[in-house]
Amino acid sequence: MRKKSKLLALSMASVMVILSACTGSNSGGNASEGNEANAGANGGSPEPITLTMFSADMNTNYENMKSDVGKKITELTGVKLEIDYPVGDPKQKISLMAASNEYPDLIFAKNEVNMLVEAGGLIDLAPLIEEYGPNIKKLYGDYLKRLRWSKDDPSIYFLGAYGVNEVQWKPKDGFMLQHDVVKELGYPEIKTVKDFENAIRAYLEKHPTIDGQPTIGLSLLADDWRIAQSVTNPAVFSTGGSDDGEWYIDETTQKPVVHFTRPEEKEYFKWLNHMYNSGLIDPESFVQKYDQYKAKIASGRVLGLIDSEWQFREPMQALRQAGKDERTYGMYPVTLNETFQNRNFQSPGYSGGVGVAISKDAKDPVRAIKFLDWLCSDEAQILNNWGVEGIHYTIQDGKRVISKEEMAKRTTDPEYGKKTGIGVYLYPFPEYGAGVTDATGQTYKIENEQQIIDSYSDVEKEVLAGYGAKMWKDLYPQSSEFPVKPWGSAWQINIPQDTDGAITMQKSLELLRKRVPEMIMAKPEQFDGLWDSFQAELDKAGVHELEKQFEGLLKDKIALFND
Amino acid sequence: MENLSLLQPATAVPARKRSKWRLAFEQRYLFLMSLPFVIWLFVFSYLPLWGWTMAFQKFKPGRTFGEQQWVGLDNFVQLFREPHFYMVLRNTLAMSFMGLAVGYTIPVVFAILLNEIRWSPFKRSIQTISYLPHFVSWVVVAGIITKMLSTDGGIVNEILLALNLIDQPIQFMAKGEWFWGIVTMSDLWKEMGWNSIIFLAAISGIDNEQYEAAKVDGASRLRRMWHITLPGIRPTLMVMLILSIGWLTSIGFEKQYLLGNSLVQDYSEVLDLYVLNYGINLGRYSFGTAIGIVNSLVAITLLLLSNRIFKRITNESVI
Repeated sequence: MRKKSKLLALSMASVMVILSACTGSNSGGNASEGNEANAGANGGSPEPITLTMFSADMNTNYENMKSDVGKKITELTGVKLEIDYPVGDPKQKISLMAASNEYPDLIFAKNEVNMLVEAGGLIDLAPLIEEYGPNIKKLYGDYLKRLRWSKDDPSIYFLGAYGVNEVQWKPKDGFMLQHDVVKELGYPEIKTVKDFENAIRAYLEKHPTIDGQPTIGLSLLADDWRIAQSVTNPAVFSTGGSDDGEWYIDETTQKPVVHFTRPEEKEYFKWLNHMYNSGLIDPESFVQKYDQYKAKIASGRVLGLIDSEWQFREPMQALRQAGKDERTYGMYPVTLNETFQNRNFQSPGYSGGVGVAISKDAKDPVRAIKFLDWLCSDEAQILNNWGVEGIHYTIQDGKRVISKEEMAKRTTDPEYGKKTGIGVYLYPFPEYGAGVTDATGQTYKIENEQQIIDSYSDVEKEVLAGYGAKMWKDLYPQSSEFPVKPWGSAWQINIPQDTDGAITMQKSLELLRKRVPEMIMAKPEQFDGLWDSFQAELDKAGVHELEKQFEGLLKDKIALFND
Repeated sequence: MENLSLLQPATAVPARKRSKWRLAFEQRYLFLMSLPFVIWLFVFSYLPLWGWTMAFQKFKPGRTFGEQQWVGLDNFVQLFREPHFYMVLRNTLAMSFMGLAVGYTIPVVFAILLNEIRWSPFKRSIQTISYLPHFVSWVVVAGIITKMLSTDGGIVNEILLALNLIDQPIQFMAKGEWFWGIVTMSDLWKEMGWNSIIFLAAISGIDNEQYEAAKVDGASRLRRMWHITLPGIRPTLMVMLILSIGWLTSIGFEKQYLLGNSLVQDYSEVLDLYVLNYGINLGRYSFGTAIGIVNSLVAITLLLLSNRIFKRITNESVI
């Protein structure tokens, strides 16, 4: 029986493809007819409509539009969003969508969007924006042209996610130390990996246990793709690279290399190997799953982390809720040695490489674009960032104000987003970046420098004062020290699916995920040999051909962005 | 009853050829009754085989069948040239053979031993307890196993440390060579009770008089198990074994995916995961289908081969 169902599963997808390919042309025609009729009847009054959507990024806060904000959106637009999130790898779902030729109304495909574009699953939004998108135009401004697909195909297939014109106030990635560590050691300088190591070692020796459980020096995370956040990306960041995904791009020559082939990063991994062999790295680092990692952090006995801020936001909130502020973390711009600069604040400009698209199967594309346009409006942006007036904020003297109690809930309650719906309909939808102001001169986001400072705990303020800083970003090299990257963020540049490059990338990533943990956990004398064989394997997988291909893609991107 | 006489073919009617059609006609209601199932089988098991044509194309979504580019055996050639493929095939077969060896024999032994228990309440509760884990999802089981084998307060390491057998906690989940064993053992824990149900049922079908006769002849308990219970369930044993062999290449990837981590990937990656990572996830539908075909062919070959061998040895077969 199981064998049979196996056969079945294997060919199920393919048959669906063929069946739907036969009927595809018909249904397409019908759909568009219906749309026109609908659009005419609508004329602006919010007739209820349900838009189905697939989002490649899990949002645990999605509340089925049952929260205050969710209900308000339905009330104002008549739209009810039914968002479907992936179970496991979103690639599979998107790939099957393309194969079966059946799409929900809206799709956020993230980096897999080219699969859908190649399959002809998305419609060109450019004419729709022209006609129905005044707010979209206003939100993106000049960056709208960056949403164009390519030089040969100037269609706009999706509205770019991530804040437009964002001013960065918070470091995104870094090396974390518990506040108690630096406090007790008298605020030592934390600039290089050695400083970081010494701080952890000194504190660990003094406090072998915290709350009765053994203290963990540094815990890393290697659960599937998350290894990039905690293990492999920091290798670039600490050796003078900015976040370009798997790439390191030389600023002057604009030549891309796959970052884990750089000799500088060998030194970084060697340091991790040294840390592991000195017993400072949690031995479970490369085995643990994400939830175990979070649980460990929330127990307050992990002194150091190397990670992206959003990865450990939940356990941080849990620690604050438990009143263990001294066990939360400060972020330090650590580099391999003094010759490197941390480029966390280098601006990529706006890349818009991923975002929400409207599919060719959309019941009513006009309605869908109108909804997306509404999401770009001031009304929606304020609703999604601030909440509902009178419930989540009030207006005093023409200014939006969030009460102290509400603010406390916002910063400490991990469930706040789910309960209120605030933030749920921002990413991956279009949004203004932090620091952008509306007509009244107030920021769309609740964040401003003062508000960020206010949200710090007392311990945090104390630690910052100890370093003579007001905000964490003051510890980092400032944005103004670096030029804006002309290619945006290279991780948003997609390698076409049907080229060998895509396979090479997959192979290299798989090798990276296997070999790097092996290397770190090896005996120090074995490290060099393992690194060399890793490089040989990458070479065999075709990493250098991939670099050549990517160089071409990068050139096109730069040309497209800057014409 | 009158139907019974109809089911005896060609006894009275001289013209054989006609009688076949007559017989079919007389059984028309039986045919009619089976028709929905035949259609079901055709639609769900045979019609999808049409999709295998994809393996000989460079399939691109959004195009009609006629627009696809045909590439002959290119996908297969590419597959057989890929060293990675042999690694995942090795892992798949290794884990499934280990799973078969342990996951088949232990439930049989368990069923026989359980059958020997005379006090029924105890027997029943043991049986229930043993098959309950079957209903626990692999996600949960993987969580339990990982926690138990953890170096950070995992019970296995704690016990070993307390017994002074080791002085450093062992990183069970980080050792590739141990991965197959860990998967096999967790599978055994989860499925042992469940798999023994069918054997228990077969055992209860054995005539009690045989046991009594053996007892009178002075056979010991072990003798009775060996000479009565085992031969009594032999047909079931054979059918189950042959069927399990047919499933060898399709062990799924759930447990491997959930229990695995990047350190043990050389041992944990199985065929189905490979199809996913290098086929569907990269939009290489044709390549994925080609692997699927190879997979099915291997499975069918194994099945037919084992069936023939068992038929020769024991005269039992499923096909």
